[in-house]
Amino acid sequence: MPDDETRRRFESLAMPHLNAAYNLARWLTHNDHDAQDVVQEAFERAMRYIGTFRGDNARAWLLQTVRNTCFTWMKENRPVERMFLDDAADDAHELAAPVTDEPPAVAMRKADRQQINHAIADLPIVYREVLVLRELEELSYNDIARIAGIPVGTVMSRLARARGLMREALTPAARPVLRPVPRTTQGGGTQ
Amino acid sequence: MMKPQLETQRINAFVDGELDLVNQLEIEERIKLDAGLRAQVDALRQLRTAIREDAEYHAAPDALRKRMAATLAPEPAARARPPGTVVALQRWFGWRPMATSFGLVATLVVALNVVGLRSAQDDRLTDDVVASHVRSTLGQHLVDIASSEHHVVKPWLSSKLDFSPPVNELQIPGSVFLGGRVDYLDGHPVAALVYRQGEHVVNSFVWPDTGKDTQPDFSSQRGFQMAHWSQAGMAHWVISDVNREEFKVVVSAVQAGGEDH
Repeated sequence: MPDDETRRRFESLAMPHLNAAYNLARWLTHNDHDAQDVVQEAFERAMRYIGTFRGDNARAWLLQTVRNTCFTWMKENRPVERMFLDDAADDAHELAAPVTDEPPAVAMRKADRQQINHAIADLPIVYREVLVLRELEELSYNDIARIAGIPVGTVMSRLARARGLMREALTPAARPVLRPVPRTTQGGGTQ
Repeated sequence: MMKPQLETQRINAFVDGELDLVNQLEIEERIKLDAGLRAQVDALRQLRTAIREDAEYHAAPDALRKRMAATLAPEPAARARPPGTVVALQRWFGWRPMATSFGLVATLVVALNVVGLRSAQDDRLTDDVVASHVRSTLGQHLVDIASSEHHVVKPWLSSKLDFSPPVNELQIPGSVFLGGRVDYLDGHPVAALVYRQGEHVVNSFVWPDTGKDTQPDFSSQRGFQMAHWSQAGMAHWVISDVNREEFKVVVSAVQAGGEDH
């Protein structure tokens, strides 16, 4: 068990990032209960490995653990989402569908809060995570690459695609011809 | 001609400010001439604004904070043992005169640990409050939002915290409200309200607290006057280097403001 000194060091390093950790877990798992479990497990794991933390960026280090714990948890508990996770992780898939990366030049309708939240929730998980890390946590490409365990080039391609999908979902004219977005095929489970 | 896929990524990176300077400038130049590119950049910026303003930010719920606090609580063999166990141990040792002294020692160790840990926790909070006050007065970071008006500071703090702290100018002579900042104490983000009293800085920390209302508990620590109390569901810690009499006046004024929020 970690001693008190370790706990204290961990607390001062990690607790300032509890909101960020929960926000990421909540967006990835889609619900409060699972997000809390994942964060708790991730923090316990991080505390055990605090020796490997080199002291440069506690936030990225911690979010990396939260992210990995989330993905492990998803593989065990959400096999359907996992399919899309493997599917979307294949970048050839992204190249095969270039049209969605080209946002229509028409102005996006002013979308309301609920539409935006739904559109993010409906993104395949690998796009959702880069978008949440970028827009809600305002992290750099380098930090996102580290957290998601992917090259910066992949951060770029996924982020561009995430935004393309967001625009598709939020642009009324494009909506009827949308390819089914993965989460809608799962039959609920959101929230 | 670059593949459209890569070009889109590059424009995204431009909007994110993640291109190197040469590429960043090149796109800036092109935007001036190319209306299509300009529309694409505008659309991306619009999307970003919409997401940042409207997407829900899920702050950690209280239940999770409590769980984490329990996980991080100091290690416990002694502390966690219920009093019943202690009594049973005493009784067990009581039957064996030879061992009675060990029993007593064990009981004392447990008791001292309980007291020691609790006061260690208070000391730590006191230390943190002093450290935060000192940091803030060193000049770099007194306030995040500078304003003498509570109706500017309160919404700003509420938007950064998951609670809405009472924010008031102090109704006493010589008091100037300087603004607020978000600080971190006792495992929570807290609101820090900053006042100037004559030449002295006053930091007033506030965060939600489930305890009953209490009267201010005054102390002095390394030359600073401190007081803490609970009021209307909020924990208050006030610290300053004003003299003791003036500090009591300040605390009363903070208390008076804590009633109506």
